[in-house]
Amino acid sequence: MNQLGSCREQLLSRAFVGLADTLVTGYDMIDLLDRLVGYSVELLAADAAGIMLVDSLRTLHVVASSHEDADVMELMQLEADQGPCVECFRTQMPVSVPDLADAVGRWPVFVAAVESRGAYRSVHALPLRLRGEAIGAMNLYHRLPGSLPEADLALGQALADVATIGILSERAIRHGEVVTEQLQTALNNRVIIEQAKGVLAQRGNLTMTASFDLLRRYARSRNALLSEVARQVVENDLATDVLAAPAVHSKAAHLQ
Amino acid sequence: MRARVVGSVRMAKLGMVARALLAIARDVDSDYELAEQICEACVLGLDVDGAAISLLTASTSRETMCTTDATAKLLEDLQFTLGEGACMEAAVSGGPVLVPDLHHSIEASRWPIFAAAVMEQSEVGALFAMPLQWGTINLGVLDLYRKAPGSLSDAQLRDAISAANMAALMFLGVRTDPGGGAWLDHSLHGHAEIHQATGMVLVQLGISATDALARMRAYAFVDQRLLSDVAHDVVSRRLCFTPDMV
Repeated sequence: MNQLGSCREQLLSRAFVGLADTLVTGYDMIDLLDRLVGYSVELLAADAAGIMLVDSLRTLHVVASSHEDADVMELMQLEADQGPCVECFRTQMPVSVPDLADAVGRWPVFVAAVESRGAYRSVHALPLRLRGEAIGAMNLYHRLPGSLPEADLALGQALADVATIGILSERAIRHGEVVTEQLQTALNNRVIIEQAKGVLAQRGNLTMTASFDLLRRYARSRNALLSEVARQVVENDLATDVLAAPAVHSKAAHLQ
Repeated sequence: MRARVVGSVRMAKLGMVARALLAIARDVDSDYELAEQICEACVLGLDVDGAAISLLTASTSRETMCTTDATAKLLEDLQFTLGEGACMEAAVSGGPVLVPDLHHSIEASRWPIFAAAVMEQSEVGALFAMPLQWGTINLGVLDLYRKAPGSLSDAQLRDAISAANMAALMFLGVRTDPGGGAWLDHSLHGHAEIHQATGMVLVQLGISATDALARMRAYAFVDQRLLSDVAHDVVSRRLCFTPDMV
């Protein structure tokens, strides 16, 4: 095995162990999906990635993103209405768009929005599903056109499956309603995280991405739930503490 | 243009209760009346026997706004008195708490005194508690009960959750919107910037998240702008709230 291959293999095993490690009692679904996004970006050399979960009205919402600034998150949220992500969710099948230029007729609004940001040329979407139940989809953006190799897609799907199995089977012995409860709680936790990003951005004069990195780093270094730290930043004055923690590079923060 | 498409798609997916809520919204001028109409819509549209809404006020105290019958009132009173129960848990956790069979469920062991009291004093078999909530902004809980045990159908559960989400917005609207205009903004859930701006404004003014969102809504209303546009200005630091602003 060459050096590149063995490095990737290490990363791969770290990803699966990392995801499995997150699935302990009382885990934070947003944190799990944030890790999934981080691993996927690294392993599949994506330039951006995001995950959407479905709400009680079957509408998709961005809950994890490799870029926490509005631009990328808005682009992904746009996919709640049209684009590879919502199609992937509806069909529960992967959707590959090797060149977005070829998809203008299919998703005019989405393609125009990507083009206006001038950043990405290809998109791949992988479903979060298990035994016929879809709860969302993961989106991978690349700056260069081209299909992801089959092996990479299979790897991305395997990562997504591990996370989904964890989410769907955690309390599967209990009632079916549990998934709805969990999704609703996760969506609400995402709102709290957004509020906390705002608090930190204002207090520390930071970008939203930097604010999220601080939140994540603070939570992980203390083995605390991301949404609980976020709640305390909003409700109590944990912001001072979080802002006092030294900054780290955002890419590294994903993989801690 | 896009908003209209989204709106119509969502409308088609709305259940009976959510549709009823949209129809009653505008001319209600008190929280009590609003709570009553929401509870009635739930009893009519869902397979439940009774409903109640309790709001959390600024402190940790709660106020029961409406109960559709004596059993619903008993459930609220018990939780108030005992300080535990499905509704209290929903308020704290921020997610719905569903107990399809109170007599045979492990959930009930999380609030043993409440569960025992309910079984002793009523014929309630199933409890469903939906938080009225936006992130950390917790307004209260919509409590539903049924005598016969059993789950809500998927469609009914979705309807109940949507109704709770809309009810949360309505209470926010009634409290903050001076004219009762287009305050039912369906897009609130989808816009991360509104929540980010809420966090920024709460720091700018040194107030709670609930009050910060209320201030932005009032500002948007007076300025005849969309809440999402005001939020965008806050996040991009073109607008900073100061205490002397409206």
